[in-house]
Amino acid sequence: MLRDVMGKTFRLLGYTIQYGCIAHCAFEYLGGIVVCSGPSMEPTIQNSDIVFSENLSRHFYCIQKGDIVIAKSPNDPKSNICKRVIGLEGDKVCISSPSDFRKSHSYVPKGHVWLEGDNLRNSTDSRCYGPVPYGLIRGRICFKIWPLNDFGFLRASPNGHRFLND
Amino acid sequence: FKGFVIAVPVGASMQPSLNPGERQVSDVVLLNHWSIRNYEVQRGDIVSLVSPKNPEQKIIKRVIALEGDIVKTIGYKNKYVKIPDGHIWVEGDHHGHSFDSNAFGPVSLGLLHARATHILWPPRRWQKLQPMLPPERTPLHSNQE
Repeated sequence: MLRDVMGKTFRLLGYTIQYGCIAHCAFEYLGGIVVCSGPSMEPTIQNSDIVFSENLSRHFYCIQKGDIVIAKSPNDPKSNICKRVIGLEGDKVCISSPSDFRKSHSYVPKGHVWLEGDNLRNSTDSRCYGPVPYGLIRGRICFKIWPLNDFGFLRASPNGHRFLND
Repeated sequence: FKGFVIAVPVGASMQPSLNPGERQVSDVVLLNHWSIRNYEVQRGDIVSLVSPKNPEQKIIKRVIALEGDIVKTIGYKNKYVKIPDGHIWVEGDHHGHSFDSNAFGPVSLGLLHARATHILWPPRRWQKLQPMLPPERTPLHSNQE
C-alpha cells in the first residue's frame, strides 16, 4: 500500500520535472504569452493587452526594422520593455527631441538597435537611453490575442516619418 | 537556459588567469547560469556575457565596477566614467589585448550570461575561480549600499 503511494508520488514528480523542462525550453526558444502594460505603444498596443511573442527571430538574428520587440530594460535587467525597432545597426536615426528646433541624426552602432514606442509623446525609449544592444532583445511580438475586438496581427507603425532612408 | 555549461575561452585577453599558455592550449571553464539569475555579481567575478558589438558572440571578462562606481579608464573616450544604473564595467586581465569596457563602455546587466566558477581542464590547472579585483583596477569611488 505504502509502496504504491510512493511509486505514484515519484512518477508524478518525474512527469512534473519533464513538463517543467519542456515548458521552459518552449518559452525560452519558441515563444510565450505576454501581458503588456503602459501607454508607450498606443494605439498599436494598449494597457493590459495580451500578445504572443515569438523567440525564434532573435535566435536566428532576423529581427527587422518595424518589428515590435520585447527586450530587457537597459537600466534594469529585471524588467522588460516593449517597443518598435526604428533602426538596425548602421541605420540613420533622428536623435533630437521633439522640442529641438534643429534635428540631429546619428547612426546606430554595430550590435545595437534603436527602439521607439508608437506613442512618441509618452514613451521612454532610445531617444532617452540611447541605442539598445541586440543581445537584450528577448522576443518579437507578432500577434495580439486580447482584447478580442483587436485580435490579429499587429499594425505597422503610425510613425512612418521616424524611419529614415539613407 | 538555467544550469551549467562548459566553455572554452579563446584568446589572450584574460591572461594570466585564463589561457596562460601557448595559443594551442586553451583552458576549459565551467559556467554557472543559475548563480546570476538575479543579476547579483561581485567586483572581481569572471563572467561571460553577450558581446555588445556582436550578439552572436559571447565574451569572458572580469567585473571591475558595479552601478554607481566611478572607474578610471584605460584608453576609453572619457578618462573617468560613472557606471549607470543597471550596468557594469568589465575588463580582461591582459590590458591592451582585450576588447572590453575600455572599448565599448559600460555594459547592461541584461547581457550577462553566466559566472565562470571553475577551470576544469587541463588537469594541472584545475581550480575554483575566486572573485579577485586587481588592486590597481579598484574603482575610485565604490557605490556603498
